[in-house]
Amino acid sequence: MIIAEFGLRNAEWEMKTENGIVVDMDIQKIPLEQIDLLDETFSVNYFPDLQKLRSSIQETGLIQPVLLRKKPGGYQIICGFRRISVTKALGRLEVESRVFEGKEMDEFRLFSLSLHENLTTRGFNAVEKAVALDKLIHRFQIHRAVVINTFLPFFSLEPNEKILSTFLSLAQMEDEIKTYVLKEEVSRGNIRRLSALSPDDRMALLSLISPLKLGENRLRELLTLLEETSRRSHSTVKEIAAQAEFQAVLSQKELTPSQKTERIKKVLTDLRYPKLSQLEKAFEKKRKDLDLPFNISLHHPPFFEGKGLKIEFQFETIEEYQIILSALSVLPEKEAFKQMIQKD
Amino acid sequence: MFPIQIEKIYLDEKAEKDSVSKTILKALPNIPVETVEDKRTLIKQFSSMSDPIGTGKRYLLITHFYGKRLKPCPGTSNHICCGYYVINAVTNCPMDCSYCVLQGYLNNPFLTVYTNWDDLLEEINYFLSRDKSSLLRLGTGELSDSLALEPIFPISQFLIDFFSKRQRAILELKTKSPNIDSLLDLDHQGKTVISWSLNPPKMIGEEEKRTAPLTTRIEAARRCQEKGYPLGFHFDPILYHEGWEKEYRETILQLFKQIDSRRVVWISLGGFRYPPHLKAIAEERFPRTEVFLGELFPGRDGKFRYLKEVRVDIYRKMARWLKEVNPGLFIYLCMESKEVWEKVFGWAPESSRHLNRLFEERVRGFVG
Repeated sequence: MIIAEFGLRNAEWEMKTENGIVVDMDIQKIPLEQIDLLDETFSVNYFPDLQKLRSSIQETGLIQPVLLRKKPGGYQIICGFRRISVTKALGRLEVESRVFEGKEMDEFRLFSLSLHENLTTRGFNAVEKAVALDKLIHRFQIHRAVVINTFLPFFSLEPNEKILSTFLSLAQMEDEIKTYVLKEEVSRGNIRRLSALSPDDRMALLSLISPLKLGENRLRELLTLLEETSRRSHSTVKEIAAQAEFQAVLSQKELTPSQKTERIKKVLTDLRYPKLSQLEKAFEKKRKDLDLPFNISLHHPPFFEGKGLKIEFQFETIEEYQIILSALSVLPEKEAFKQMIQKD
Repeated sequence: MFPIQIEKIYLDEKAEKDSVSKTILKALPNIPVETVEDKRTLIKQFSSMSDPIGTGKRYLLITHFYGKRLKPCPGTSNHICCGYYVINAVTNCPMDCSYCVLQGYLNNPFLTVYTNWDDLLEEINYFLSRDKSSLLRLGTGELSDSLALEPIFPISQFLIDFFSKRQRAILELKTKSPNIDSLLDLDHQGKTVISWSLNPPKMIGEEEKRTAPLTTRIEAARRCQEKGYPLGFHFDPILYHEGWEKEYRETILQLFKQIDSRRVVWISLGGFRYPPHLKAIAEERFPRTEVFLGELFPGRDGKFRYLKEVRVDIYRKMARWLKEVNPGLFIYLCMESKEVWEKVFGWAPESSRHLNRLFEERVRGFVG
C-alpha cells in the first residue's frame, strides 16, 4: 500500500511508495475536453463546498496540479475532481496536470493515493468516508479486516466492525438522506437507526423530519418512537408518517420548527404508548371537569406509578389566595375529584 | 446433558491444583486449555472485543473468588422484597436470554466458575451461625443459572449435601435447564427447593436462547418431584404481549398436568422490568427482540416496568389461574410495591421482613 508524501519541489512531483520507488512527473496542460468527467472510479466527493476553492483558483490559479491517468480516448481523474470542476466552471479550457501513463500502478494504489491526497488537502465529510469505505470493500475487494484496521484509523474512526457497517450502510442510502446526514450532522447512532429502515420508509421519514428543528437527542427519540411504533403496529414507517395528525402539525404555518417538533413528538408518543395516552386523556378530562382556577394545577404521579395527586398553586394577593382556598374546599364534593382519588 | 458450547478454557494458575478444576477438565476433554497468570489483563483484553457478553459465554474461566460470595439479594428500593440471600458460585450464564440483566451487570464477560469451594462453605457456615432464630433462604441463581453448568461443575450436588444437614436454611436452585440427573439420588432431606423459571413456548423460542423448552423443564421438575424435592416456579419475567393470556394460561395448565401442586412450595410472579442501561445493550445483541416494545416506564427505583394498570391486570389473572389449580398455592410478587400487592391480593405484606416471615411459615409447614 502506498504511504505517500506529497510536496512541490521545483515544479516536480515527488511521490514515495513503501518500496521506495520515487516517481517524478512533469506538469502538463491537458485540455478539459479530453478529461472524462463522468468517470468517478477514484472519486469520493459528496456535497463539496466549492466556494473557497473557486475564489482561490480565481485569485491565484491552480497551486497544485491535478493527477490524471491516460485511458483510451482521453484521461481519467485520480485526484482533483473539485479543482477540475471549478476550472471548467470558470470557463478555462486546460488544467495543469501530472499524468500516469496507462497501467504503471493498479487501481487500488491509485485510489489510495487519491485518499491520501484528499486527506492532506481538505479532509472528508461523513458521506465521503462512507463512499470511500464502500469502494474499498466492494470495488477494490479489500478484505474487511484490512479496511477496519488500516482505513478506519486513516479516517480517524475507531477500528471496529460496527463502525464499518455504519458507514457502509450510509453509502447505500438515498442522496436526499445523505444530504440530510451532512447538513444536520447526524450521529453514527442515528445513521444506524436510519439504516434499519427501508428506502421508502427513509424517504417518508425525511418528509416528516425535514421541516423540524432536531438536535441529536430529539432525532434519536423520534427515530426510536417511529421504529417501535412501526414494530408494535405491524405497519411501515411510511404508513405511520402518512397519518393525518402529522400532516396537520406540519401544515400549521404559525408554528415554529421547535413547536412542530414537540407536537410531532407528542403524536408519536401517543401512538407508541396508547395505554398511557388513554390514562392521560382520562385524567385530563376529569381535571377539566373540576373547573379549577388557572393558578391551581393538579398532577398525577409520574406514569401513574404510585398513589396520590399533587396540587400546586400560585398567588400574589390575599384575594387570589382566598379564591384558591375556596376552590380547593369544594373539590371533595365533585364527582370527578372523587373518581380521581378513589382506590380501585 | 443439555448442550454447553465451550470453545476454550482459561485456567487461572491459582485454581490449577483444585480437584474441582480437574473435574471440569475431565468433563471437557477436547477443549483447548490455556493457563493464565493474570486474569485481570485477560478480562480487560477480552472486554474490548465486539460483543464480549455473547462471546464470553463460550469461554470458560476457572479461577478463585476473593471476597464475599454470599450477599442479600439486591432487591430494589421502595418495593417489597423477599429477604433472599444469593450465593455466587458461578458468574455469567451459557444461556442467552434477550432480557437478561447480566448483560449490563457483569464486568467480567467470561463464563466463570470459582473452584475455592472450601472458602465458600466457610462463608456460608459463618453466615448461618450468626442468625439462629430465622429460617434463611439462599440460592445460586442470581448471577448465573443454578444448573446450566452442573454436568461439568457439580457445585449444586455439593451444596445440596451441605444444606441437607442444616436445620435453619433452605437452598434454592433456580434454572431453565433440565440438568437434574446428578441430583436425583442425593439425600436432600427436603432442604433444597429446585425451581424453574417458566414462560410460554413462544416466548422461550423467541427470547430465551439456548434454554430448555418448556416441556423439558416440566419433565425435569416432575422427575425431581418424584424424588421428593420441593419445587418452586417463577413466572418471571412475565412478558406482556398480544395473546399473553392464552399462552400463560396454557403454560399453567401444562405445568400442573405433570406436577402435583401440593408439592410446590412457592410460585413467584414478576412482570418484565429492566434497568435503564439494559435496553441499548440488549437491542444491540438481539435486534429482533420484542421485550422492549411494551409500555414500560421508569418507577421509583429507576427500573422500567409495565404500567401499573397492566401489571395489576397480569398478576390478578395469573394468580386467579394458579388458584384455580390449587387455592393453597403460595404466590408472591417479586420486586413490587405495596400498592400493587394490595390491588392484586387485597392485602400486602407490611414490609420485606413481613414477607420473609410468611416465607418462613410456608417453608416450615412444607418441609417440617
